Amino acid sequence: MQRATAAPGDAQSYPATDVRIEQRDGGIVAACFFAMASPCELLVETPDVEKARALGRIVESEARRIEAKFSRYRGDSVVSAINRGAGTVIQVDAETAALIDYAAHCHELSDGLFDVTSGVLRRAWKFDGSDRVPAQSEIDALLALVGFNRIEWRTPHITLKPGMEIDFGGIGKEYAVDRALALVEAESDCALLVNFGGDLRANRPPVAGPWRVAIERPDTNREARMLLEVTQGGLATSGDTHRYLVRDGVRYGHILDPRSGWPVRDAPRSVTVAAGSCTEAGMFCTFAMLNGADAEKLLERAGVPFWCLR
Amino acid sequence: MQLKPANPQLRRGLMAASCALLGGTAAQAQTAAGEDQSWQVDAGLLYYKENAGRLRTIEPVVSLKKDFGDQRVLDGTFVLDTLSGATPNGAIPSRKPQTFASPSSTSLTPRAGAKTTLYTIAPGNLPQDPHFHEQRAAGDLDWSQPIGIDNTLSFGGHLSTEHDFNSAAVNAAVSHDLNAKNTTLSAGFNEEYDQIHARGGDPIPATDYTLLERERAQTKNVAGALLGVTQVMSRNWIAQLNYAYDRSQGYLTDPYRILSVVDGSGSVTGYRYESRPDTRVRQSLYWDNKVALGPTVLDVSYRRGKDDWSVTSDTVDVHLRIDVGRDMYLEPHVRWYRQSAADFYHLYAIQEVPLPTYMSADPRLAAFTATTIGFKFGVKLAHTGELSLRLEEYQQKPADRSSPLSQLQGLDLNPGVKAAIVQIAWRQDF
Repeated sequence: MQRATAAPGDAQSYPATDVRIEQRDGGIVAACFFAMASPCELLVETPDVEKARALGRIVESEARRIEAKFSRYRGDSVVSAINRGAGTVIQVDAETAALIDYAAHCHELSDGLFDVTSGVLRRAWKFDGSDRVPAQSEIDALLALVGFNRIEWRTPHITLKPGMEIDFGGIGKEYAVDRALALVEAESDCALLVNFGGDLRANRPPVAGPWRVAIERPDTNREARMLLEVTQGGLATSGDTHRYLVRDGVRYGHILDPRSGWPVRDAPRSVTVAAGSCTEAGMFCTFAMLNGADAEKLLERAGVPFWCLR
Repeated sequence: MQLKPANPQLRRGLMAASCALLGGTAAQAQTAAGEDQSWQVDAGLLYYKENAGRLRTIEPVVSLKKDFGDQRVLDGTFVLDTLSGATPNGAIPSRKPQTFASPSSTSLTPRAGAKTTLYTIAPGNLPQDPHFHEQRAAGDLDWSQPIGIDNTLSFGGHLSTEHDFNSAAVNAAVSHDLNAKNTTLSAGFNEEYDQIHARGGDPIPATDYTLLERERAQTKNVAGALLGVTQVMSRNWIAQLNYAYDRSQGYLTDPYRILSVVDGSGSVTGYRYESRPDTRVRQSLYWDNKVALGPTVLDVSYRRGKDDWSVTSDTVDVHLRIDVGRDMYLEPHVRWYRQSAADFYHLYAIQEVPLPTYMSADPRLAAFTATTIGFKFGVKLAHTGELSLRLEEYQQKPADRSSPLSQLQGLDLNPGVKAAIVQIAWRQDF
């Protein structure tokens, strides 16, 4: 979907459980690995390569921990357990509870647009570049399973209605970036930047000046990149490079409106937002995409720095 | 979402939600780092010392807490304390030397087969028994667990024993969460049973001190109930309101306290054992607020107490917790307390008046104000430990401490108390 150019190439070149070290300009060491379906890296301003490697392993194991715990694609994840248990009361741990609380806050803040239960709509919509638009009856049937208000949530007990599912896809990677940075920050006094596939957070800039991050534009035909300077805080990008379908000349992006069950019309191709944390920046991107044509207006009024591509 | 004109609320809301998520899990991740931290140990040593050679306490406390998961927690506390020093016996200072017998005495004049331990108080001094020494061992065990989704049940017991006093108590409470856990209602009760067997026997209330009229062990019991509501008022403010009611019945008299009997000029003519009603009903209303001001936490509480002995009290207590760097905190503390006197409290009894049924010169039943000022300093140890030091000064100022009677003029009849408190505490998770 998007990627910082500083990030390494493709997944196959990396052993799944180790970090690769690269020396970069300006006394920066990069510890690179592949997780969460994205190239990931930790940038450390240090002359000590072994220290960077040790910190990189902390970041890597945190990424894998969060991926294993919250991925809906893994049968042994907490999310799968919750979804399998739909119709019964499931007790969750404190970290999962905090994420569900966060999802609840975001649902409220977006007047219901952001909804972790909307994933079931993907059963009808296949964004493969084709022109297959599902029948309204199919969408209507799935809409009965969508709606955060249909969940019973009282910490630490969650009850989904049978057939419902939740999905932290819109939160997990950004959350992992913030968590990983907090872990390495506690172990080091260096300037640090954690970048998981373009969603990133820095604790402070290196002595030589701000971190320079290239955000890939969501246009497969051009090698057009946007170079951003980051001193500290979070940056996240959302886009729909490959995931769309075209029907009767209308391009449907992959962002689905949980209220209508249809893709949001006129969403930007790509939105990048800067905020205090990566989690917050990522949620602003999602809110903006969900607002379609009003994306820029929303971000302007919220007063956050952003870059929209249409 | 609606696009309202300017929407900084959205930004603030999202920032707050993100901070709650990341802040909360940072703390959570610490405990997840060592999966087996299921025991929490608290150990403390409290040292309390009153001025002028009076009461001194050394109190070691050990508390163990075991979390069995699913919010089922067992909590046990064990206390061993030693009290020693001089304690006021209730009589007032006099212009003449006064001689008293320690409570274990069976006779006021030395004779064969009787035990007599006497102490004499110099003119103008407050009569205090210098032989006071007491050791106490006490233990608490409490269990708490959820019932159903929104309820918590807790119950426990307490036992304590000392040379002249045994106490046993049970308690139980339920709480219910409402409103997405933003509101918690709780209700509880407790029942306490005490045995008082003073050295040498329990005095018969209001009898003449020189007659040493005593009876066998006496008992009292206390039954209480509590209703409370805790409410999350906003993201950084939690308020709690509690109402408590308890009723004591039985031997409520202090077996070691006497009362001076004086004539019309204020000359001491004798002493009586004190005497209190055999029931006491107490009610209190407690309002506590915890407010987070960034990383600093302010805790302000007010308590209003009232009983059917006419003692009403007000307590204002303020704590401020300030983080100093990452691993230390400072917690200044100020407490202000005032109470009115019990309706049978007197500095002394007048001989001419037929003696009232109930009378006491216990300074704890007098009208007074008290202030506590101090601070606590804590340092985090390793990942899950904490070491703290608390230093406080307590000062009690009685409202009524002099008499217009000629023989008592210029004497301080109730000098109040000043005390220093030092507490060292250590906490560690295992």
